[in-house]
Amino acid sequence: MGSVAAVTALLETRALSKRFGGVEAVGSVDLRIERGEIRALIGPNGAGKTTLVSMICGRIAPTSGRILFKNREITRTKAYHRVAFGIVYTFQISSIFKHLTAFENVALAVQRRVGGLDRDVLAREVGEALAHTGLAGARDRPAGSLPHGHQKLLELSMAMALHPQLLVLDEPTQGLAREEIGAVSRLIQSVAGAATILLIEHNMQVVLDLSRRISVMDRGRIIAEGTPAEIEANREVQRVYLGP
Amino acid sequence: MRRDHRSAILGVHWALILALVGLQVVVPPFHHTLLARIMVLAAYAIGYNLLLGYTGLMSLGHAMFFAAGMYGAGLPLFYLGVGAPQAFLLGIAASLLLSVVIGTLTLRTSGVSFLIVTMMFAQVFYLSTLYFNRITLGDQGFVLAGHLPPISLGALRVTLSDPVMRYNLALATFAVCLGISLWLVQSPIGRVLVAIRENEDRTQMLGYNTFAYKLLALTISAAIAGFSGSVYAVITSYVGASFAAILYSIYPLVWTLLGGSGTVLGPFVGTAVMTYTIETASRFTSSYLIVVGVILVALVMRFPAGIVGAFRRRWAPWLP
Repeated sequence: MGSVAAVTALLETRALSKRFGGVEAVGSVDLRIERGEIRALIGPNGAGKTTLVSMICGRIAPTSGRILFKNREITRTKAYHRVAFGIVYTFQISSIFKHLTAFENVALAVQRRVGGLDRDVLAREVGEALAHTGLAGARDRPAGSLPHGHQKLLELSMAMALHPQLLVLDEPTQGLAREEIGAVSRLIQSVAGAATILLIEHNMQVVLDLSRRISVMDRGRIIAEGTPAEIEANREVQRVYLGP
Repeated sequence: MRRDHRSAILGVHWALILALVGLQVVVPPFHHTLLARIMVLAAYAIGYNLLLGYTGLMSLGHAMFFAAGMYGAGLPLFYLGVGAPQAFLLGIAASLLLSVVIGTLTLRTSGVSFLIVTMMFAQVFYLSTLYFNRITLGDQGFVLAGHLPPISLGALRVTLSDPVMRYNLALATFAVCLGISLWLVQSPIGRVLVAIRENEDRTQMLGYNTFAYKLLALTISAAIAGFSGSVYAVITSYVGASFAAILYSIYPLVWTLLGGSGTVLGPFVGTAVMTYTIETASRFTSSYLIVVGVILVALVMRFPAGIVGAFRRRWAPWLP
């Protein structure tokens, strides 16, 4: 407890592991995320990135190891309690409520925080959240009828409406057109003041634009961590991405 | 739900209640009795719809909650001579208690497994009512006539065997359940239930304890089933094991699907259409169930979202 670093770390995993049968998806990962940073988590497909963040959010239980959030043990805490603590996850595959309107989607997130009995407060907060992501015009449309890029923005609106302290974004720009990627990037930048962000991302331009610290995963382990320059110069990372 | 539709929504539902208030003075006695039964059974379907239509859980065991209400009210009336209001409360309490136990066990499953597990528990309940036939009088059941003391409301004495009283008791039951349903589905709780129906995993990741919400939906649904069961026992003056059998689990499912699952008015429309279809068909032929079956299939093919569901899609998207 004594060191300064232990106080400022928002999230910490210690020797966190997950085995699926005989396969070690995540092996003994020690990850520290400081308050206020945008941390990128990169690595080839199947490296275990989604499994790692799923354990952090409580969607799957680890085989062994510990997770600490603000120095508090949350290894066995239920996912919905972690959301109340401020750990918010956005899904890799857009997972909005397709048959509900954009308003209802965001209302579900706002209601989690403010209770929802006061319809005026709810409507105002939902309106603000939709306006922030430029979706005000889509308020009463079924979410499933929105273009793919707007669905991603809606997903982000919902996440932000929960007022996260740690926002875990699983490939937020996947499948988006270039100009849409720019919009999502700017949005993430705008949240970063209030929330710490853990970003899984394949688009290196987005990673370099947003993040000053990168963790690289391969075969369930973190093989490198550092500034973009350090990562680019890292032999191990080059081997993973470019082959030996 | 936009603010501008709120008065329209209230208007539609009040119109139905007022129509039912007015109908009792104009319809002949036969329809009078039939309507009273329809209203209580529609209340039962309203409870079922909260679980199927709004939470996305298909139960095939609701007969146990209906019958728990029936026995919970009927046995104390028959053996202990309690008053009708106390009997209703006991009926509701019985199904509420049962649903907490059953829900805690069965809600670990979902989809088809939930359907089968609820059906199995309901069968256990049904067989228990037969096994303990020294108390329940099993299949034969017991008649409540002579066991219904009049209720005193101040200076007013209400005799429950009076057809007018029965009709209005049924109407009050229906109105209360309709009101609960209308309020609930437009409330913050209803919003979460619909979210669970649409995507439970996502709902959990928005920070909701989905198990607790599903248990809440089940207990409300069961309490309404128990309430209607206890009222049904009083207005028909009869309690019997046949109401715990699987047919009474299938009925609310069919009524709800026919009227429109996930619509507040659907259960009433479904119950009314089906009951009247059976009544009409049985007057012309002894194999009336075939006629009913054909009509059901045709309706479901024509309106897969149910009658009210189809109406809502075409004319009134604001209808809850």
